Amino acid sequence: MKSKDFSFWLFLSPAMIGLGLVVLIPLLYGFYYSFTDWDGVNQTEFIGMRNYINILSDQDFLYSLWFTFKFSIVSVIVINVMGLGLAMLVTSYIKSKNILRTIFFMPNLIGGLILGFIWQFVFTKVFDAVGRMTGIGWLQGWLSDTQTGFWGMVILMSWQMAGYIMIIYIAYLENVPKDLLEAAEIDGANAIQRFRNITFPLVAPAFTVSLFLTLSNAFKIYDQNLSLTNGGPFNSTTMVSMDIVDTAFKMNQMASAQAKAVIFFMIVAIISLTQVYINKKREVEM
Amino acid sequence: MFKKKSLLLSSALFLGLAGCSTGEKTESGSSGGGGDQITVDIFQYKVEFKEQFEELATDYEEENPGVKINVQTLGGGNDYMAALKAKFASGEEPDIFNIYGAVDIEQYRDRLADLKDTKAAGQALEGTLSGVEQEGEVLGLPFNQEGYGLIYNKEIFEKAGVDPASIKSMEDLTKAVKTIDSKKEELKIDAAFALPAKEKWVTGNHAASAFLASDFKNDVLTAFEAKEVPFTNGDAFKEYLDLQNKYSVQPVVSLDYSQQVEELFSTGRVAMIQQGNWIYPTVEQMDPELAESGIGIMPIPLNDEMKMPVGVPNYWSVNKKADEQVQQAAADFLDWMYISDTGKEAVLTQFKFIPAYEGYDTEKISDPLSKEIYKYSEEGDTTAWVFPSYPIGWGENVLGANIQKYLVGEATWEETIKTAQDEWAKARN
Repeated sequence: MKSKDFSFWLFLSPAMIGLGLVVLIPLLYGFYYSFTDWDGVNQTEFIGMRNYINILSDQDFLYSLWFTFKFSIVSVIVINVMGLGLAMLVTSYIKSKNILRTIFFMPNLIGGLILGFIWQFVFTKVFDAVGRMTGIGWLQGWLSDTQTGFWGMVILMSWQMAGYIMIIYIAYLENVPKDLLEAAEIDGANAIQRFRNITFPLVAPAFTVSLFLTLSNAFKIYDQNLSLTNGGPFNSTTMVSMDIVDTAFKMNQMASAQAKAVIFFMIVAIISLTQVYINKKREVEM
Repeated sequence: MFKKKSLLLSSALFLGLAGCSTGEKTESGSSGGGGDQITVDIFQYKVEFKEQFEELATDYEEENPGVKINVQTLGGGNDYMAALKAKFASGEEPDIFNIYGAVDIEQYRDRLADLKDTKAAGQALEGTLSGVEQEGEVLGLPFNQEGYGLIYNKEIFEKAGVDPASIKSMEDLTKAVKTIDSKKEELKIDAAFALPAKEKWVTGNHAASAFLASDFKNDVLTAFEAKEVPFTNGDAFKEYLDLQNKYSVQPVVSLDYSQQVEELFSTGRVAMIQQGNWIYPTVEQMDPELAESGIGIMPIPLNDEMKMPVGVPNYWSVNKKADEQVQQAAADFLDWMYISDTGKEAVLTQFKFIPAYEGYDTEKISDPLSKEIYKYSEEGDTTAWVFPSYPIGWGENVLGANIQKYLVGEATWEETIKTAQDEWAKARN
């Protein structure tokens, strides 16, 4: 037992050291700095909770938090519906499903920054040109107001993440026993009933994973935000991550940005963990 | 078990620390100099002249065998300041680095060596040092001068029958723009202007600075110390923005720099844009002919005053925490770059700078925009760049963002000014 203990920790150590150096230690440092007035260069002074108190009256931060919240809810729903839909499509009996899987997954292989620029082109140029040709007003002037900025982000995020989430759903969908479905079919259950009463409960663990991934990714979104809208117009599409980076590097308020990051970390952790807890309870075992 | 855990944890920590300290050691070794070789680490932001600058550094090394110049370049804007901050935080402090002016001085004050005794400081043109002078010390040496205004397409103006030289006031400009706009079809242009309101630095920093300079007696330092911003010329500023917005390619708030300069101006789809001499290489790439003889620049009119906003975009600073020897070598290098004949030649013909120092053969300034700007600068028909003296983030995040709000009609002009004034006061008091 003792030697097993040692090798256990030995094998674990590379991951632990990596995690410790790049996640745990910076996290602790971050907590510490959030109580100081560090500006990134000069010596710091301990100022207690003042950063946190100031944040509560920071309208921009609260606005970006609310904006990110709205964005996350919408994109989590869209991504999961799309992901599940695509997964059902490519696990059905259609031809060319393998190539379709690859195609749907492809956007996820492109980096967020590049995706942002691609979609910026699509929204401001392609949409505009189509809108002008057909005379459809709502296709013109994308990304120049908050509404289209918001939906632009949702479309971009969904397009990128849906393929990834699809893979997760595929894994679970293929594990649904065929005999169960067949038995139900013989008993006279129609497609909707089969999906609701058999497939859906058995795929529930996938929801736990997918919701967690999409939720935390939607909250933490930064590079797509940077390249697509860069917070504009008038900072109205600035998400929390971007607000934090701006505070740190544009306004030179490292410590205050750190305090925002700590609050943000807690919010994301609480929401994600609650969601996992609730979903775990609802999963069924085979 | 618990002991093992703590042992591992501690060894992990130890490894981490060891990693850090080796990093530091190599650093102090390289910049410490020690023996006969002195290494000067330069960390600079201007990507555009990276190669030419490195060549010049090599030339210097050949002339001065005892000195090694290490150049590291990292792209402009916020990225550079963030990276510089990271460098200082990690202990890898460069010996020569760039600062934007008064605002950065505050943050790096302990690190800035006094360069008053350098020859370059003695020959800097009047006014170019005002942003970096504090308590009798000169904390940076100007890179170069840059200027901005309304860059126009000569051919379009000619076809429209507007003589750019006749524009002497806001009124004239409005009239000219209306004339051009009325002949849009014949001229085959999309609009008279391209206003890139998405780029908050164009509106909040550059455009605003032209109208705010007189509030601060045209002085960078006064602006830096100002507790409030009066916006005396707020109405003129509004008129200027409205004019551009009304006759611009729409929607302005998603129009960016590359669209403005490359897509619209270089291809002759708009008659004029508000930009500076830095767009010259881009226009040259798109259309060499247009760049060489087809474009001109005029000042932004403030009522009936026509003054070119000319300023120093960046300064070289020497790290005070570096070795005395290294500091001296760094200052010598900067002197050589701006004062020696080889250096001067490179500054004009290779870097294509508008010099900020005396004793240059200005006939050699290579592009027409720079030449024009230098002419204004010589005649003293300039206003200071006050935007580097704004409170941190004010120009873009506050004023620029609120101008966007105004342009899309979500805020009135009064609200825009009010917010900007409040935020300024909040930052300075």
